[in-house]
Amino acid sequence: MPEHMAERTVTLGSKSGLHARPAAIFVQNAKGFQCSITLTKNEKKVNAKSILSVLTLGAEQGEQVVLHASGEDAETAIEKLAALLEEDLE
Amino acid sequence: MAEIDVLAPLDGTVVELESVPDDVFAQKMVGDGLAIDPSGQVAVAPVSGILVKLFPGGHAFGIEASDGVELIVHLGLDTIELKGEGFEKLALEGQLVAAGTPIVRFDRSAIERLGKVMLSPVVTTGSGTIVYCASGTVQAGHDVLFVLRV
Repeated sequence: MPEHMAERTVTLGSKSGLHARPAAIFVQNAKGFQCSITLTKNEKKVNAKSILSVLTLGAEQGEQVVLHASGEDAETAIEKLAALLEEDLE
Repeated sequence: MAEIDVLAPLDGTVVELESVPDDVFAQKMVGDGLAIDPSGQVAVAPVSGILVKLFPGGHAFGIEASDGVELIVHLGLDTIELKGEGFEKLALEGQLVAAGTPIVRFDRSAIERLGKVMLSPVVTTGSGTIVYCASGTVQAGHDVLFVLRV
């Protein structure tokens, strides 16, 4: 297992799920980190830095997604992004 | 380097993204592009590719094309709240589509009656930068809306 790796399961807080606005805010923040970040819902795993990929998850409010990061700033990224996902970003 | 023509997915008048009354699009947080004030009733694929996302309510869709090009068409603003009312899906998510393929039929007057603005952003979320933008009126599946250099 590489040194810098972090993972967390979060419950989506945004009213419309990971739709345009919440997804855009989330992806913009994800892009600010060096590490590679994925978002998984059920068996589907996507690149958290691509808005169209994130939208394809069709994740709704109250659903659980798994955030995974690997790279230097993985832990900071997970802290920040998990908090964002749990908020209502509408 | 390749130049990719992104066709207008809607009949209507081209509007700058910055003047769309929704920050997430106006500030280009989703991506760069243009909006269309539609005059027709059918949204078509702006490029050939895979229809990777067609929202259950039919109010938005995304296409993955070659060279890492990705486009999102959002029909109206905040239209997710309509939960499909005013929209009829004409294609299936996951389907391969050619530019010009009908994707969603919409009823502008019904959508406006429900209090939504029909201005529709068309944005690039993948590779490429916009090197040409259309202005004035455009015809769906026929006129170039913008050109991406990849």
